[in-house]
Amino acid sequence: MKKFLSYTGQWFSDWYSIFARELKHIFSDSGVLIVFFLAGLAYPIIYGIVYSNGNLDDMPVAIVDDSGSAAGRKFVRALDATRELQVSRTCMNMAEAENLMRDRQVNGIVWIHEDFEDNIAASHPATVSTYADMSSMIYYKNLTMGVNMAMLDGMHAIQEQKFSAAGMDGKQVEQLIHPIEYEENIPYNRAFSYSIFFMSAILLVIIQQTMYFGVSMLSGTMREENRHSAAMPWKLSGRGISRTVFGRGLAYWLIYIAIGVYIMALIPKIIGMPQNCPFGDIFILLLFFVTACVVFSFTFSTLIRHRETVFILFLLMSVVCLFLTGFSWPQSSFPLFWKWFSCIFPSTFAVRAFMNMNTAGAGLAMAEPQILALTIQIIVYYILSCAAVFIENRVRISGTSQE
Amino acid sequence: MKFWNKIKAVSLREMRVMRQRPVYLLASVGVLAFCLVFCLTFLKDRIPEDLPIGVVDQDCSSLSRNFIRQIDATKLGETCSFDSYTEARRALQTGEITAFCVIPENFYDDVLSGRQPVLTLYVNTLYFIGGSLSYKELVSLMNLASGAVQVQILAGKGMGADKIEGLVQPIRIDAHNIGNPAVDYRAFLTNALIPGMLETIIILLTVYAIGSELKHGTSRHLLEKAGGSMSVAMLGKMIPYTILFTMMGLTCDLILYDWMGFPMAGSVWNMFLGTVLLVLASEAIGIFIIGCLPILRLAISISALFSMMAFSLCGFSLPVEAMPAGIRGLAELFPLRHFYQMYVQEAFYAGGFSGWYMEAVSMLVFMILPAFVYKRLHKAFINLNFPRK
Repeated sequence: MKKFLSYTGQWFSDWYSIFARELKHIFSDSGVLIVFFLAGLAYPIIYGIVYSNGNLDDMPVAIVDDSGSAAGRKFVRALDATRELQVSRTCMNMAEAENLMRDRQVNGIVWIHEDFEDNIAASHPATVSTYADMSSMIYYKNLTMGVNMAMLDGMHAIQEQKFSAAGMDGKQVEQLIHPIEYEENIPYNRAFSYSIFFMSAILLVIIQQTMYFGVSMLSGTMREENRHSAAMPWKLSGRGISRTVFGRGLAYWLIYIAIGVYIMALIPKIIGMPQNCPFGDIFILLLFFVTACVVFSFTFSTLIRHRETVFILFLLMSVVCLFLTGFSWPQSSFPLFWKWFSCIFPSTFAVRAFMNMNTAGAGLAMAEPQILALTIQIIVYYILSCAAVFIENRVRISGTSQE
Repeated sequence: MKFWNKIKAVSLREMRVMRQRPVYLLASVGVLAFCLVFCLTFLKDRIPEDLPIGVVDQDCSSLSRNFIRQIDATKLGETCSFDSYTEARRALQTGEITAFCVIPENFYDDVLSGRQPVLTLYVNTLYFIGGSLSYKELVSLMNLASGAVQVQILAGKGMGADKIEGLVQPIRIDAHNIGNPAVDYRAFLTNALIPGMLETIIILLTVYAIGSELKHGTSRHLLEKAGGSMSVAMLGKMIPYTILFTMMGLTCDLILYDWMGFPMAGSVWNMFLGTVLLVLASEAIGIFIIGCLPILRLAISISALFSMMAFSLCGFSLPVEAMPAGIRGLAELFPLRHFYQMYVQEAFYAGGFSGWYMEAVSMLVFMILPAFVYKRLHKAFINLNFPRK
């Protein structure tokens, strides 16, 4: 019993001294502080400002109305009335409109053909050609949606007129125009806003990546200076892997719980993102995510031999991580290799859980698969980071004994 | 002649450094190759296929089954059926499916007797591409279903097929997508991401290469090789990198526009010119950052923060004009923004040099930046008076 008590006492005192030393290292390293606090605190705000509009309303389009008819003008007015489009220029011919588009004064062209009204009168399909600037998908989406709405509007008006002329009464006309009605519900991101979908994903990727860069910078520095803080303190002489990992881990964990609360709870409030999940649930997700990030960073920081190399080698991983969360390209379309590759990163699961919970209002219980995956990651990366400490220590001991 | 010999000596020294430390090649060629493989394989479908779309069929009639088959028949969607609304909603909420529709009870009977049944459609647009594509698909299928019923009713009234067409769809949209006819997400994203990644690699590696001299205190040796001239030292040092980055950039251009055949209305030679300008402008930014902050570890953190912003601010995801007014100007600070504008002019509109010379000028303007830090960097090289650790 006494032995056990003295062991625990020793464990805690070692653990505490490792923890305190790590905190000291963190706060005396300006590079790490920039990454943790400047990037961790400022990036979400900057992204929040950049994406604050989230949408492009009243995108300028040019009209070429060759029909010069009442029906054509009506169609143009319907286009202008949509949220997406604004008829900013009326051109005499296509060449003029093409020039405007090339000069980026308009992002789309709508060409109403010469026989537009004649065809409608003769009950033939009348054609409207659209030309979308594909340099951003938003231009394409706006033009497609705007023109479709104007088209449906015009279509129903024409049908109403024709069916009435064919001698149907009001009720029959209505039944024929809408034999099947549909009602659309777009509950979580009604306006197809870029800010909601992009911010939900980027926030957690910022947490993971800044932590990884900071941890790697510090352990790179230690390795450069041959101090091996990544490994155990000398006096432990090879024992005490767990107190090293726990001690160092706690330092980052505490800092990132604070940064995480700021990023996951405060930032959505500041930038006006929907928050449909109680703070408690988000906090539990944060606990799992930050823990997974700590051991993930420990594991992969062993690849870093010099402090700056982490940036030149792995900075662009952030972009890859972001796509691997499936926030944009759907996960069901991931090629098999990348599906597996995405399992390496805690962000893959945490971002999904965060999007579902924070924006779609799914409870913590519905994030069970993601929480489970994070737990597996925590266990696997904990074992790996312990193994890394063990191996690094072995190498060091054999290295010094050779000297 | 002496000048050139010194430049050659410095360049040779730099190449020796690059040979001794594999991290230089790994961080440039290796990282870019990984990014290329990622972009080209990850998005290999070009447009998502077989997105899971939920259906709650409370009618189970031949008409509702027909509607489900219609969804399955599209390349985009693949239905999975749910027994109840609650189940489907849970799947939607957890992102398992990006959309679902509810076919109400008595759907078929209601259609037949003109009671106008309501199909309900739910879409999760948090998963953006999947959500908006399935939304578009479902809405157009619903309109088609309405059209099919109209055709039957009108035919029943004895109307001719030619007339029916004009009544069911009086206005036809003939859509053209300039610069990306097939709405190919791979071409769209790769064309923006790869130059952005190249820019990031260049900025970081330039800062790293120059900063390492300061960190390891070898800058005096470098100046010695250059005969004490800072310009020779910088020129000689940057020449091997410029050649390397340019080769990488041109290879990317060839891969994208020749091998992969991404849409290119203009000339690939003009893209080469643009790429060279992007390389030079990015190097200038790297020199500027390390010149302002001649401490490698700070400079590299700052350049990492800076270059990641380029992806958002270059305006390929959210167009710059949709950003708040105060932010728009910042976009001009990134060579990537000018390169992207240039690419759009060349690849979409075949604008030629006259179409994008202003972007070229803007990229050239970046090359003035090193002049501002020339003296400061020179002093730092000689005195090594900045903290190294």
